Amino acid sequence: MGRYILKRILYFIPTLVLISLLAFIISIQAPGDPVDRLLNTSSATGEMLVESELVQQQRMQLRERLGLHLPVFYVSFSSLSQPATLPPALRPDEQQAFRRIVHTMGNNALAGDYYKSLQHLYQLHQDYPATSEVGSSGDSLRSGLQYSAASVKALLQEGNAQRVQDKLQELQNLYTYNIYFKPLQDGMEEVVQSWQKGTTNPSLWRNYIPVIRWHGDNQYHRWLLGDGNWLTGKGSTYQKGWIRGDMGTSYTTQLPVRSVIASRIGWSLFFTFSSVLLAYLISVPIGMKAAAARNSFFDRSSSVLLFLLYSMPAFWVATLLLMNFANPDVIRLFPSSGVAPTGGIPEGSSWWEWLRITLPYLVLPTICYTYAQLAFLSRITRVAALEVLQQDYIRTARAKGLSEGKVLYRHAFRNALLPVITVFANVFPAAIGGSVILETIFTIPGMGRAIIEAIYQEDYPMIVSVFTLTGVLTLCGYLLADILYAMTDPRISWKK
Amino acid sequence: MKAPTSHSNRQRAWRQFRQNTPAMVAMVFLTLLTGMALLAPYLANHRPLYAVVGDARIWPAFHPDKTYTLTMADGQTLRLQNDITDWRKVPMERVVWPVITYSPGVNDYNNTGFVAPNDPQFMVDAAGKTVPLSGRLKHQLGTNNTGKDVAAGLIHGARYSLSIGFVAMGIAGFLGILLGAMAGYFGDRQLAMRRGQWLMLVPGLLLGWMYGFYVRRYLLADAAATSPIAGALQLCWSVLIAAGILLLALWAGKWLSRMRFLHHRHFIPVDSLVSRTIEVVHSLPVFILIITVAAITRPSLLHVMVIIGLTSWTSIARLTRAEFLKIRQLDYISAANALGFSSMRIILRHALPNAIAPALVSIAFGIAAAILIESSLSFLGVGVPPGTVTWGSMVNEGRQQFSAWWLVVFPGLLIFTTVTAYNLIGEGLRDAFDPRLGETTS
Repeated sequence: MGRYILKRILYFIPTLVLISLLAFIISIQAPGDPVDRLLNTSSATGEMLVESELVQQQRMQLRERLGLHLPVFYVSFSSLSQPATLPPALRPDEQQAFRRIVHTMGNNALAGDYYKSLQHLYQLHQDYPATSEVGSSGDSLRSGLQYSAASVKALLQEGNAQRVQDKLQELQNLYTYNIYFKPLQDGMEEVVQSWQKGTTNPSLWRNYIPVIRWHGDNQYHRWLLGDGNWLTGKGSTYQKGWIRGDMGTSYTTQLPVRSVIASRIGWSLFFTFSSVLLAYLISVPIGMKAAAARNSFFDRSSSVLLFLLYSMPAFWVATLLLMNFANPDVIRLFPSSGVAPTGGIPEGSSWWEWLRITLPYLVLPTICYTYAQLAFLSRITRVAALEVLQQDYIRTARAKGLSEGKVLYRHAFRNALLPVITVFANVFPAAIGGSVILETIFTIPGMGRAIIEAIYQEDYPMIVSVFTLTGVLTLCGYLLADILYAMTDPRISWKK
Repeated sequence: MKAPTSHSNRQRAWRQFRQNTPAMVAMVFLTLLTGMALLAPYLANHRPLYAVVGDARIWPAFHPDKTYTLTMADGQTLRLQNDITDWRKVPMERVVWPVITYSPGVNDYNNTGFVAPNDPQFMVDAAGKTVPLSGRLKHQLGTNNTGKDVAAGLIHGARYSLSIGFVAMGIAGFLGILLGAMAGYFGDRQLAMRRGQWLMLVPGLLLGWMYGFYVRRYLLADAAATSPIAGALQLCWSVLIAAGILLLALWAGKWLSRMRFLHHRHFIPVDSLVSRTIEVVHSLPVFILIITVAAITRPSLLHVMVIIGLTSWTSIARLTRAEFLKIRQLDYISAANALGFSSMRIILRHALPNAIAPALVSIAFGIAAAILIESSLSFLGVGVPPGTVTWGSMVNEGRQQFSAWWLVVFPGLLIFTTVTAYNLIGEGLRDAFDPRLGETTS
């Protein structure tokens, strides 16, 4: 048995790796700069002249600790000209442009020089003598400086050689014709020189030499295993790694994602498991009874009813139920949202009291969670039972004179159960997926609602973490189904 | 394809299917629905189909961007810019309105705030007086909060739901049948390559990608940005370069294989590869994956279709594979092999027509599932561009205002009937293709 389980677990490793890879790819594709979101600053406002040195330092440190300059994966296949690690000061949109500049120059070092000179020029804008000292023309100077700073910023994000050329020309003209830009002129000179040095004699051949590189320290590695020792996790400074429960920091709450999820996973698991259990408890007897009395009125009517139930969208049923049974204008049998009264459950109340207060909140969600699986499960049970009831040993049991109930539940039941158990692997993920909709409608504070809130607020670490966790949970469901199957079917030998 | 005799399996299946009343009803319903989706702009439109203004006969619904300059009976000229005209105020001698006299995305500011189908509805006429709406001009199924017509939304929403089903399952069907057929037909020990070719395969792929795509990546991006045609042209070049390099590498591998050490044949484990892939993809949490990807990328229906397609091919592949495993044992495949037909021809012409049935059943159920997923997504407002009126998004609006039952009941009923119809067809196909059904009823 142990070996069988071990084997199944080993089988799931490639899927786990794929899920983690998918989640990681999604997380690095997320738009925007994580550093901005984590520092709660915005780069879009154009207020670059007021950024304090402290914020800049923080930004730099965070960037380095997050490892955004590192290669994405263990192996990279690129050209000789492209560097393995990018300059750490670059923002994600600047990284793209930088790579293109490298491609234009064919030389990583020269492109680096060009970017350094650009950043220096940008810094000069910040260090420009306070505008109040200049006197009357302060306003026009300030707007001129802002324009110039914005142009330099745009240059940092521009990879197209022609457009870079044009912008450089424009800036040069601006600086030569305007005396106030004198303090910036040296910086500008440097930029133009480094650009010309890189582009006059580009070593384009380097773009055509393929290189395969191995990176021990990369973004995926840090995301998954942290930046310390990969096995023990010791010595990590910023990321402990997903595998050790470090899922990053939520952009909106600035709390660790792990604690947010930990506070919400309970309700999701509760509804998923209770509804699956309930669905089994209801549908198996229905399926057995329908199979026993085949083509009877019960058989026909139950299969039509369940078939119709199966096609009903969960969000529709949930809305209809709320509309009719939680609506003061029609019938208000149940509360319309949440899992507890707004005042909370009074402290020191007994478990009976707790149940009495909570139960009305659970009825409608449980119905919605359960009904869709009913149809599927009872259908499977019916088909399986029909198959079993045709077997010889059932005829023998009947010939012995056993009562029909005994034949059904003592002899046929266990064998009919097998396919029903395997579909646990289908029911469980469906329940998790469905939780997104139902938790949103019934405002249940679970994971499904967490991911929807995160999507509305563009909280990417949260989205990716919930995705990964659901993937892992789904896999656990499959594993559980496999093990249950092996336990109920004596014909499956575990030794192989 | 023409069947040789009247007793072919396909004809028997069709006869069986035709006797299945629910499935046939579903078929008719879906045909009507498809017709409605195709004709949506002419069934629900705030412009008349045909009108006589002054002495001009015009067809406003067919020319949404046209500007009309018309001479009225009293000699005055009337300039009508079709995209902003309120046609209800135009004096018309004769007019043929569409069935529903509203367009889906257009707000009717006189009837905002959830107006029920049988509530009094109003419009401001040409003289500036508020008059009650009556007859054809009424909102037959009510309006939403901003005064959008529900019936028009239902008719146009059919386009989204049906196209999601078709495109997603088109992708899934193609992938599933292709991979399933290859896995089932070739198995693990049919296709083989010499050791030398294996050796050259990886460098060929890598170099092909390098010189075809990686080196040209900025060229490709720039071309695509200038015009789609230029982009496509450059992409063609890239594909040609990559394919050329790969072929060159394989040819070199063939040549290398003459050496004794590299001559050994190794099989390509097609079946194992496909089966493992099926297992992995099948255990992905599809719904969460879709909303995650939809959250990261720009909301677009195409993305949703592609993701649904890329994740739901597994059951089709599994069924097709099982069918091919059975079929490749049969004598007529051996006969085709003996005749020297290529594998491609045997798979496509001989095996596939006999193996397609389970895939069709699975596709029918898959379309139902895809429609459910799409409506759930637009209910949540994820993945669909904001402002798109779909069945799911209408139910969501109804959720905000429980008294607006018409926003919940009608779209929900349509989703339900459409999904049921596809499920019934799937069921009917399954029964029809099941030859045992003559003896046992299920």
